[in-house]
Order: sequence, then structure tokens, then C-alpha cells
Amino acid sequence: MNNMTFDSIWEKEERQGLQQRLRQDYPAWVRRRRQRRTALATITVLAVAGFSFFNFQSSTSKDYDYVACNRSGIAEGHWADVAANILIMNSEI
Amino acid sequence: MKKTLLILLPLMLLACSREVEEMPLYRQYAARQDLTVAQVKGFQLCDTVKTDVVILVADDSTAWAGLKEEFDIRTSEGVTSWMGDIDKPAKRVKRSVRPAWRAMAVHADRTIAFYRIEDSVQYQALLDYQLDKLKIEN
Repeated sequence: MNNMTFDSIWEKEERQGLQQRLRQDYPAWVRRRRQRRTALATITVLAVAGFSFFNFQSSTSKDYDYVACNRSGIAEGHWADVAANILIMNSEI
Repeated sequence: MKKTLLILLPLMLLACSREVEEMPLYRQYAARQDLTVAQVKGFQLCDTVKTDVVILVADDSTAWAGLKEEFDIRTSEGVTSWMGDIDKPAKRVKRSVRPAWRAMAVHADRTIAFYRIEDSVQYQALLDYQLDKLKIEN
């Protein structure tokens, strides 16, 4: 029996409300299943937290909200630089 | 777990996608083949003030000549600036008119940038931005 086989048995038993029997008959498998699920949940939470942090960082460090351009392949930051440079270039106030 | 992922993944994708609202001036020129057109939404002038900017770049001298004519730019060097009507940016308006475009054309770069000015706070922030940068340069 491998993990996937045990998972499918568990789900089948879950549908029938018979997990108690599995807990008694296969305690080691149940423990390993719980560990795997905990690990997966931890990885998911960390991934979401990391993603949220990255998104927050990138949105707060930019000096613009977003950029649109009719040509592809030009970096967003380039246009913010152009907007800034033209203001600086213009000595007439 | 699969259910959790099914909920989380669309949420993450939703967070990634950004609603890009195109400004009328951008839309007006975006289809032009001879221009590179960009809009910078929420360009930061200072900690508390932002503005929207539309940038038109002529791809060649012919396109630039066309743009100059379109926006009634009669000089040929340096930077030409004016306050433009919000609906017809080529039309010059008084400095006090709001909302308006603060337009700046850079001949060397064949570029015109339009900064949207909604109120006196934005206008002042724009001036302060220029002054601050000039001070830093000098």
C-alpha cells in the first residue's frame, strides 16, 4: 500500500463515516497521513504569506500605481522614469 | 486540502490581476502605429499626492512633425510646456483652469508628457516636485 492508496481508502471510509475503523487498524498510516497534510498546509500557508508579502512590498516601493503601454516589451518602470525626467528637464515652472 | 487550494489559487490570481483603466487621452492615441503611447496611473509627486500621466513618443521625425502640428508646438528645441484643455490638450488654457493637462514636449526625445492636474494641491505638488529635483541637481 502506498500513500495514494491509503488516501483513497480513507476518503472512501470518510464518505461512509468509518474512519474510526482505519484509526484502529492502521494507526501508523493515519499518523503519516496527518503529518503529510500538516506539511502541505504549512507549505501552502507559507506560500500565501510569502506571496502576500512580496505583493505588499512591490506595491509600496513603486512610485506609481500601474502602467499601460500600446507596445509590449517596455518595462513599466521606464515610463515612470520618463514622467519624472521630463518634469526635471523642464526648467520653466 | 484540494478544496483549500481551489479557494486559495483563484484568490492569489485575483490579487495578481490589476484592473487597468485606460484614460481617454491614452485610448485616443494608443491605436496609432507611428506613436508609442503609455499611461502612468498614480505617478507619485510626493508622499500624499499622485497624478496620472500620458506619454506620447513619436517613433520617427515624420511622426514627431505630425504631433507638433497636432499640438500646435512651434518651437524646435528644448522643452515646450503649456496648460492644455482636459478634453482637447492641444488647446491652451489659463494656468488657473481645473482640471487641465500640464503638457511638456521634449524635442530631443520626440516626446510629449501630459500630467493631469485636478486641483491646486496637485499643481503645487507638481511644482514642488520640479523645484525639489532642481535643488538636488544644483
